[in-house]
Amino acid sequence: MSQSSALPAEQYNYSIVRRFTIMAMVWAVLGMCVGVYLASELAWPFLNFDIPQLTFGRLRPTHTTMVIFGFGGSALFATSYYIVQRTSQARLAFPWLAEFTFWGWTGGVALGVLSYVFGITQGREYAEFEWPLDIAITLVWVSYFAVYVETLRRRNQPHIYVANWFYLAFIVAVALLHIFNNLAVPVSLTKSYSLFAGVQDAMTQWWYGHNAVGFFLTAAFLGMMYYFVPKQAGRPVYSYRLSIIHFWALIFLYMWAGGHHLHWTSLPDWVSTLAATFSVILLMPSWGGMINGIMTLSGAWDKLRSDPVLLFLITSLSFYGMSTFEGPLMSLKSVNALSHYTDWTVGHVHSGALGWVALVSFGSFYHLIPRLWDRKMYSDTLIYVHFWLATIGIVLYITSLWVAGIGQGLMLRSFDDYGNLAYTFIETVEFMHTPYVWRALGGAFFVAGTLVMVYNMAMTIARRQAAAETQLSAQPAHA
Amino acid sequence: MFDWLMWFTRMDNSKPLALILFFGAFCGILIYVFADKRRAQRLESYKYIPLDDDNDRRQSEPRPAQLHSQSRKVMDNE
Amino acid sequence: MRHEQIETNSGLMLLLILVVISIGGLVEIVPLFYINETVEDVKGAVRPYTPLELRGRDIYIREGCYLCHSQQIRPFRDEWLRYGHYSLAAESQYDHPFQWGSKRTGPDLARVGNKYSNQWQVQHLNAPRSVVPQSIMPNYPWLLQTDLDYSDIVGRMRALRWTGVPYSVTQAEYDANVKIFGKATADLLDINQAQDTLLKQARDREFDSNPVRLTEMDALVAYLQVLGTMVDFTQYDEGYFTKFR
Repeated sequence: MSQSSALPAEQYNYSIVRRFTIMAMVWAVLGMCVGVYLASELAWPFLNFDIPQLTFGRLRPTHTTMVIFGFGGSALFATSYYIVQRTSQARLAFPWLAEFTFWGWTGGVALGVLSYVFGITQGREYAEFEWPLDIAITLVWVSYFAVYVETLRRRNQPHIYVANWFYLAFIVAVALLHIFNNLAVPVSLTKSYSLFAGVQDAMTQWWYGHNAVGFFLTAAFLGMMYYFVPKQAGRPVYSYRLSIIHFWALIFLYMWAGGHHLHWTSLPDWVSTLAATFSVILLMPSWGGMINGIMTLSGAWDKLRSDPVLLFLITSLSFYGMSTFEGPLMSLKSVNALSHYTDWTVGHVHSGALGWVALVSFGSFYHLIPRLWDRKMYSDTLIYVHFWLATIGIVLYITSLWVAGIGQGLMLRSFDDYGNLAYTFIETVEFMHTPYVWRALGGAFFVAGTLVMVYNMAMTIARRQAAAETQLSAQPAHA
Repeated sequence: MFDWLMWFTRMDNSKPLALILFFGAFCGILIYVFADKRRAQRLESYKYIPLDDDNDRRQSEPRPAQLHSQSRKVMDNE
Repeated sequence: MRHEQIETNSGLMLLLILVVISIGGLVEIVPLFYINETVEDVKGAVRPYTPLELRGRDIYIREGCYLCHSQQIRPFRDEWLRYGHYSLAAESQYDHPFQWGSKRTGPDLARVGNKYSNQWQVQHLNAPRSVVPQSIMPNYPWLLQTDLDYSDIVGRMRALRWTGVPYSVTQAEYDANVKIFGKATADLLDINQAQDTLLKQARDREFDSNPVRLTEMDALVAYLQVLGTMVDFTQYDEGYFTKFR
């Protein structure tokens, strides 16, 4: 076969993309099931069963790690390896190193998740991996960087497309954050103490924590959006110039915003005021990006009626717009005084994580799967079913946590006629039982949708395999 | 005569200074990106990159004249 | 310069990205290490944890308590009434890592020390709903059943000393601690006597009401009982701490 007529599947390294796609779905199902279990533990605490490995405190990092790094991370590896090849029109560099990133990442997340349930943790939210795993992950990340940048350098296309800028910024920023936030002095293989203490440690951790959201869960997924929305819509992104502004403003501003997680704490006021200011400004590039994505469909809105994949992508952008509005709102000190430490924050995170991150990934996968396995999706109806299950799940989830969070916040700060506290803490816990039940139900809806997708995907792949076998038996001499 | 330069050396003034610098840079980028018509056209032409790669390309929208070269081996810092 | 130059040169793009993302963190984090007012001066009132408290803190981290309990009281009237004086940066200056938390599924614990008896803490940790029926906290029965492993206490304290916590190894360090914290406290912080100090504190205070066994419960309760008790706020003028904010 001559070079020019090579199929994309032969021209590009799709096998690594396929494997990351499958792993992303595996982590999604595992991580989200654990999430629903955790939500149920809060509603019905007997579910802790007095088993150390199942208690909320040990399982919660398991959930966050599986969904953020397992599902989100694998989805990013899959899409970034796909996009960098397609937009550079070059095959992935260093295939063995790419292979290593797959096994390293998958193994690292798996080991980390196991270590938490056995009580091995750094005690830093979203950075619970102990130091040996931190080092392993650093190695994987450096390899990822090498593969990605070298593929870019080998491109057959003078320009680096916008999507790749976002992925590049994500790779660089996450490396920076990961290394500085995990500086620690080891005691043994399974225990270390962070290098910084108290207020400095808090600021470092939330500089990391907020930018894990900003770069891992936002910038990189915007890269996804900048490729898959135009591809699925069959038309270019709304404004290339807006994307230039969007990119530089977003990556500059995000890094300032971490301090808003520490309003009214022992962190000096000047830092949290600065962080709040930048958080509010951040609304502009966030919405710029959202508009850029949604307006890609401008003049072709009818496609939304016939294309469930676009429905996923555009809905994800709407949720992105909503949660990037809610975020700056909650970063205002006066709002934060009520919202912080309550479930409003948890609801906010999930409107971003489920509404934006998960939906844009699912949409991108629905675009990818037919191309990776060279088969149409098994069922379009099931894509619609998934979409509605997921959307209903998210709406249930975030509204119940608005009730729980704002309700608790208001109860905690109300006084009786004599100036005494109107409610004890435990009364607010009692109040939250009903919203917690609804939240667990919302989560269950979302998981159900994900399972529908897994079924749809498995059937698509199975049919492809079946087709390949018949073809093989029909033409045994094909070379 | 150059006393005003001392203004920059005082730490108290770092905030307005930083504000001016960052905002100035922002406005500069805005003007660069949006002001010039020809530059605008050139920049916008790059948005078709992801649609160029498709062997299974569907009917895509009509596009303006292509300004960038296609499918040619280019190295970095060329 | 044209934006195309950045778009066509991955090295230049990487460099610019690195510069742009570094500014925010540099401006907000680096000064915290240099501005003296960041951590209030409490004249040596806040001491590092004793060996037993330290092991308790490790268990607190292991069980993920920080995911449902904050250790950071904010300067609001309701929090003042519910939990006490707002938290000072000085109070967590030896916390590696900090445990301020981000969510109150349960109440704040920054000043839980000495609020409840040891027996109450043990009963509550063992079976929370036996004392607070509406509680949604998990039971932690294994704390009472597991012997405390304190074999590596010296290693743990040495690691912390390396980060700057004033645990003493040399005579000079010990003398310095005597000067800042007084002799009784300096003895607690001496790494050379760590195991004895740990055993003695457990024996004297009887945290888990079981004199025969030294369990993880002993250590965790020892830690909880010291939280927020180090600074005596009656010693300071009304406005003293506000000047650090």
